[in-house]
Amino acid sequence: MTKKILILLFILIPIKANALIEVDITRGNLNPLPLAVSPLSIDEESRKGFEKILKKENIGSEISNIVENNLRTSGLFNPLDKKAFLQAPDIANLKPRFEDWNLIKAQALITGKVNYVDDKLRVEFRLWDVLAAKEMMALAFTTVPNNWRRVGHIISDKVYERLTGEKGYFDTRIIYVSEEGPKTQRIKKLAIMDQDGANNKFLTLGNELVLTPRFNPASQMVTYLSYFKNMPRVYLLDIETGTQEVVGDFPGMTFAPRFSPDGKKIIMSFAKDGKSDIYTMDLENRIVEKITNHPSIDTSPSYSPDGKYITFNSDRSGYQQIYVMKNDGSDVKRISFGNGLYGTPVWSPRGDLIAFTKLHKGKFYIGVMRTDGSGERLLTENYYQEAPSWSPNGRVLIFYRETKTNSKGEGFSAKLWSIDLTGYNEREIKTPTDASDPSWSSLLSN
Amino acid sequence: MRLNKILKNTLLVLMACLALTACATKKEVSNVQGQMQGDVYTGTDTVEYLADGVPDRVFFATNESILTTASRETLRAQAGWLRKNPSINVVLEGHADERGTREYNLALGERRANAAKDYLMTYGISSDRITVLSYGKERPVDSGSNPLAWSKNRRSVTVKAN
Amino acid sequence: MNRSLIISSVLHALLIFITAMSLPFLAKKPLDIPPIVSVELIQIAEKTNIPFAPKAKKIIEKVKEKEKKLVSEQAPPKKIEKTKTKTVLAPDQNNKKIENETPEAIPLPDKTLKKVETKEEKKQNPEKVDDEVKQVSEFEKKDLFDPNNIAALIDKSKEESAEVLKTNDDITQDQERNVENTGLTLSEEDALKAQIFGCWSIPLGLPYNENLLVRIKLKLKPDGTVSKTEILDHARMNKPGQGFYKVLAESALRAVKLCQPLRVPTTGYERWKELQLNFDAREMLEG
Repeated sequence: MTKKILILLFILIPIKANALIEVDITRGNLNPLPLAVSPLSIDEESRKGFEKILKKENIGSEISNIVENNLRTSGLFNPLDKKAFLQAPDIANLKPRFEDWNLIKAQALITGKVNYVDDKLRVEFRLWDVLAAKEMMALAFTTVPNNWRRVGHIISDKVYERLTGEKGYFDTRIIYVSEEGPKTQRIKKLAIMDQDGANNKFLTLGNELVLTPRFNPASQMVTYLSYFKNMPRVYLLDIETGTQEVVGDFPGMTFAPRFSPDGKKIIMSFAKDGKSDIYTMDLENRIVEKITNHPSIDTSPSYSPDGKYITFNSDRSGYQQIYVMKNDGSDVKRISFGNGLYGTPVWSPRGDLIAFTKLHKGKFYIGVMRTDGSGERLLTENYYQEAPSWSPNGRVLIFYRETKTNSKGEGFSAKLWSIDLTGYNEREIKTPTDASDPSWSSLLSN
Repeated sequence: MRLNKILKNTLLVLMACLALTACATKKEVSNVQGQMQGDVYTGTDTVEYLADGVPDRVFFATNESILTTASRETLRAQAGWLRKNPSINVVLEGHADERGTREYNLALGERRANAAKDYLMTYGISSDRITVLSYGKERPVDSGSNPLAWSKNRRSVTVKAN
Repeated sequence: MNRSLIISSVLHALLIFITAMSLPFLAKKPLDIPPIVSVELIQIAEKTNIPFAPKAKKIIEKVKEKEKKLVSEQAPPKKIEKTKTKTVLAPDQNNKKIENETPEAIPLPDKTLKKVETKEEKKQNPEKVDDEVKQVSEFEKKDLFDPNNIAALIDKSKEESAEVLKTNDDITQDQERNVENTGLTLSEEDALKAQIFGCWSIPLGLPYNENLLVRIKLKLKPDGTVSKTEILDHARMNKPGQGFYKVLAESALRAVKLCQPLRVPTTGYERWKELQLNFDAREMLEG
């Protein structure tokens, strides 16, 4: 008995007398994480093999350049200058000398090697935690040599996911409208490119006006608006086969198309007699459903990722504002109440935010708000910008920006820009021509 | 005493401000004189004619699709011309300025062209003869980035279809 | 036209006159401007295009300088190795398990290279690389996921804390007076916080609306170097769907390592030889 009491005292006293000092760390820096991307090592025989096929002198360096560029543009990482690296790539991949990497302030290290095996490209890579001196992940890929860029993107995605906790967005493509010619007679074509601007390709010839292409989140299909035969209609395009078809049979203009999250429906606006309402069409059974019925303009619909709700743009209050309703059109609620006009609501793939365009006092803003309209945050302000589209992980928005013309009406341009949710990391995405209406694909590989 | 001084000073500054504003507005009005009323374009720079005395287009205020008195006059002339030429069908092309999102502007253009169509119909033109088409902000007539250019672009144009 | 010109110039002249008149009057009464109080704005404003407080950067630079010194003075590769195996042991094992659990990474129990080739152009199958590089012996034989191991780990942590309590008890007996004065003073705490703020790169991809609090217990040497780190809820690192927690925990550990030696008070070692850091990124992520 006394023993027990003694033990009890023994335990109680120190807790009471010497509570552990706690320090709350609620702030950190938003500086990009410094990391080293060591060039992928390659043996001489493999190097020559790839040089022959791909016309690239050192495919190992090329792939690591892609990784480095992706991580840098994400704004979350700071790839360090290769000149400062102390360890050779091949040795680093076997066993990094962490002190060396620590010395140049790298917190993470990417190493790897490339092999030419049976006419195939084999890439393995490792991610190391320099400060903890341990390996964080190791993966290998085998593919046809022509896919080397995608290998770079997939490695970037894996590293991004391991270090940030959420999926990456690098192995993706962007479809957009390429623009050329004077402002009063723009020639517009559908174009597609990799997320980093490589592999740009035109999908239409520019004979008719095309607008607002959007990716199907579940396949390589695109829906867009075409003025084919001067009849503005929503079309469906299969990127793989190139086949096109008109969506539904409407006696008027259909526009503002977007896919449902499962890719099985198209939601769009149909304008007739001065009013625009929102409709859906099931792509399998072609059944058309009317979702809104109001004399106002209801447009720019976008599904929530679970498909249960729809956000859209309406001027039923007198001016353009953002609304949310259930997917059958019931329970319509206005969610934007700030000063100005609100348009182009797009639901984040994460489900927590809605991105929008705002017009206030002659300026255009891209912003985000929670799905109940609270927590409005404006990320960027400009003379003209609109049409945000989410990266598949819901972290970055791509949109387009137009410049003001001078007094003679010259100097017009339209460019693609991206900004991440913090609003810090804004950058132009270079395109061969002027560009607008970007839409981000889902991850091509999972 | 001091209060009096302050009051006097305030008055002086106020007067000065008034003088200045008078100056500024006067200048601006003379700049766009005869081209805009409110923010509706009233000029004739871009207007073409379907026939003698029949202008082809009407203009709208920002974000509006209401026909102005001048617009109604134009449309009445068009209706008369259409009655005289029963074989002619028309397309009403609705447009918006560049200061709006693309999709909303497509709808707005449709609404504007439709306002014109409704008016023509009340003057006895059959809806079979009229097609409505919206270009949103895709086909501006003036590429400028100023209120005057925008006012020229907010329009519904009647085009012969055959 | 002429008339309006005249009116305009008359009014302008009047304006200039009035201004000239009123200015000296204003000059007579110098405004009593209070001294400017500089306030560091932490809250990110409605429109966020401004880079984060330069203060943090300065701190980092200072820390980096200190680190340089440390490296040159002590150069302790062996030491690091030792502490690593001891302290990070538990999380390491856990990481390993999580990796093996994830379906995308194919575990290789027999440690042979498994080649998955795709003939289709558009798909690659990731495969796990052979662990030829792994030199740390603890990792071996831990490849298979065993729920009992978690329990073992939890038990172990209890044992550890019990040990800690014992040692604490010794201290209290030795230096009872110091004990009453527990806790750091505000300035001491601020110095430490400011240092760690600068070292901690917040993983920006984390969700702001989840309860992500990582508590780390540190054992410190008198010079502020860390001799032992322990994640208090490390069982959570094992749980599926806690990927965010793991990422945050790893970033917190990096921050502690990067910040060494910690800016601790010069006196009262017994007070702070053990410290608990609570890393909470919500305030920053909510932005």
